[in-house]
Amino acid sequence: MTLDCNSLPDEEFRTLFREWVLENCPAELRYLRKQRPVYEEVKVWYQALAKKGWLSPVWPREYGGMGLSPGKHMIYVEEWGRLGCPRIPDHGIGLTGPLLIHHGSEAQKAEFLPKILSGEHIWCQGYSEPNAGSDLASLRTTAVLDGEHFIVNGQKIWTTLAHCANWIFVLVRTDKEAKPQRGISVLLVEMNTPGVEVRTIENLRGEADFCEVFFENVRVPVHNLVGDLNNGWTLAKSVLGHERIFLGSPTRAEYALDRLDRLAADRGAFEDPAFLSRYAKLRLDLYDLGSSYERYAKVLRSGGELGADVSVLKVFATELYQRITEEMLNLAQEEARYNDDLLIEGGQIDAMNLFLDARAPAIFGGSNEIQRNILAKAVLQLPG
Amino acid sequence: MPQLIMDDADGVLEMLRDSVAAFAQGRPGPQSLRQLRSSEADLDREQWQEMAQAGWIGLMLPEALGGAGLGIREQVVISFALGRALIPSPMATASVLSSALLATVPESAEQRRLASGLIQGQAILAVAVSAPGLTARLLDGAIVLDGRCEFVEAAASATDLLVLARCGEEDMLVSVPSDVEGLERHERPAVDGSRIASLQFSSCLVKTERLLARGALHTQIETAINLARTALAAELCGLASQAFNLTRTYTCDRVQFGKPIAGFQVIQHRLVDLWAEAEFACSAVVNAVERIEQGSAREARLAIYAAKARAADAATLIGRQAIHLFGAMGFTDECDIGLYLKRSINLGATLGQAESLRIQFIREERAA
Repeated sequence: MTLDCNSLPDEEFRTLFREWVLENCPAELRYLRKQRPVYEEVKVWYQALAKKGWLSPVWPREYGGMGLSPGKHMIYVEEWGRLGCPRIPDHGIGLTGPLLIHHGSEAQKAEFLPKILSGEHIWCQGYSEPNAGSDLASLRTTAVLDGEHFIVNGQKIWTTLAHCANWIFVLVRTDKEAKPQRGISVLLVEMNTPGVEVRTIENLRGEADFCEVFFENVRVPVHNLVGDLNNGWTLAKSVLGHERIFLGSPTRAEYALDRLDRLAADRGAFEDPAFLSRYAKLRLDLYDLGSSYERYAKVLRSGGELGADVSVLKVFATELYQRITEEMLNLAQEEARYNDDLLIEGGQIDAMNLFLDARAPAIFGGSNEIQRNILAKAVLQLPG
Repeated sequence: MPQLIMDDADGVLEMLRDSVAAFAQGRPGPQSLRQLRSSEADLDREQWQEMAQAGWIGLMLPEALGGAGLGIREQVVISFALGRALIPSPMATASVLSSALLATVPESAEQRRLASGLIQGQAILAVAVSAPGLTARLLDGAIVLDGRCEFVEAAASATDLLVLARCGEEDMLVSVPSDVEGLERHERPAVDGSRIASLQFSSCLVKTERLLARGALHTQIETAINLARTALAAELCGLASQAFNLTRTYTCDRVQFGKPIAGFQVIQHRLVDLWAEAEFACSAVVNAVERIEQGSAREARLAIYAAKARAADAATLIGRQAIHLFGAMGFTDECDIGLYLKRSINLGATLGQAESLRIQFIREERAA
């Protein structure tokens, strides 16, 4: 059994984790420009984490996770970001694992969890469809029971990293007659099953990190159904617990502001009162995001649970990230026409890259309009 | 609904909240504010006396000066509750700033006299510490004050004025009797119905016994002002929070096109954004309190600038949008919602408005 990190004082754990990362995360993988590297690109880092037993911060220790408390998990994520560690294909760790731990059968846990930890199974998440994005419950991919198999037909889209995953967990419609939310189930599907086809989609940044996944008469063994039939909607909604706070993490905005700062210093913009005024607003918005984030972090550290109100962080953080990158293009003046990086003394600033990247977070993870709907209903309790 | 969320193990904060709520039951804020406005007074002495009896005036004065020895945590809870109840008072300047100044000066009989009077509600201390042009000189064992100071609250009701003046290379903090000869007071109505004065000192003679402190006082004056800014930020959060609550209730009750207007998505999203502003302001104030308590002066200053700027912007934004969402009703004087906006504008511009505090934040942060 590995060390129980929860027993360490926070700062001791932070130092321990930090020092280990510095030793084990290869320098060339840190501060990668690419947001979503594929498994092969970050395999060394993935395996180093796996070997240490630190790949999966939240899973209980009995399943090979670190079993970190939310407070310690916050530290893990903070240091990860601060040290510029690359994102690993983490759907298995962040989504499939918790799904199976809470709702899977013993056989499913025994089969799948160790293979996530070893890197043998790389997962992706099949939720959105061409006509079911924000309105996810209207999804139409079907699974029909046929003896010991479900026959799956339909299409998923915006499936991040599907092209380098070998397993997918999909939301499928298993009862067409029921209310939209009531007839949905979760299936685990191996990507090399006949009838599964993946096509990558190039995004605005010129990377192909999300995909379309087509299912044509794909046979999925019945024992790959997670939880009860037609209960998938509830399962899907319960996968993210305290991790919802990370959707509102200030990390992206912090990074972008640091870039803006350097660009502005290089261009002498801090001498310009008009720029200073706009910069001050952005800087203070980031500072205040930190104060609000800390408020929710405190809840987690003291063992509490997050309410629906945590969504406010996601809305604010992602919109702030956008505004900061917009100011970078404003500051760039005619250089905003370039697709490649802006040159500053002793380095370069990926203004356009960040500006384009900032379009995505306000859309994914539940668009900001959906978040506002949730806040209106669940927190402010406004009428229908 | 938005609230300052702070640990309250011994229940003191809850007690203070209840105490302000009970006070507001007896003297509803909007009513007091309208009365004050029509009376053209700058302070309701009777109300101030009751606030003193409740123990809210000079709350942060140390026990050695007869105070309760409570901290900024308790002060922001009081200020927030006053804002929420729209109770008009010069709390931030005539209580928080004046007592912070008194707590920072060397011991003297004058200091003790003012502190005890402040706590009992007998001494009303107006503060004039932000006029760079005020000068002092020593003449035959007296201090002679000259110059002008703007934006002084409770000047007409004051028994004493705490005045900062420049004397050669040093600063002097002097307690000036409000009826001193040579002092001219020019009062103007503030947007929320309170009053603000400008003071003209012309060869005003003050006894040297009234000299509270001398030397390089800039840092301690700024520290005192920052505590007042924190109280203002909390009061603004209270205003923002209540203006939001009233707007939420109104839009849930107001039926048009066959349903409450808060049922329309365009209104819902707007309400969510306003609520978020109020929540962020509350978190910013809690952060300021924690930074002050942690003791790093620089971190505390930055946090206070941020909190005051955020709270002022939130309260005025919510006030403006609230008026719009109340429709034509919101444009009437009879409807209380406008009072929240007006008070927010006044407090927001007191001791540094949002934009100037943000710039100050950047200057100090980048100077490091």
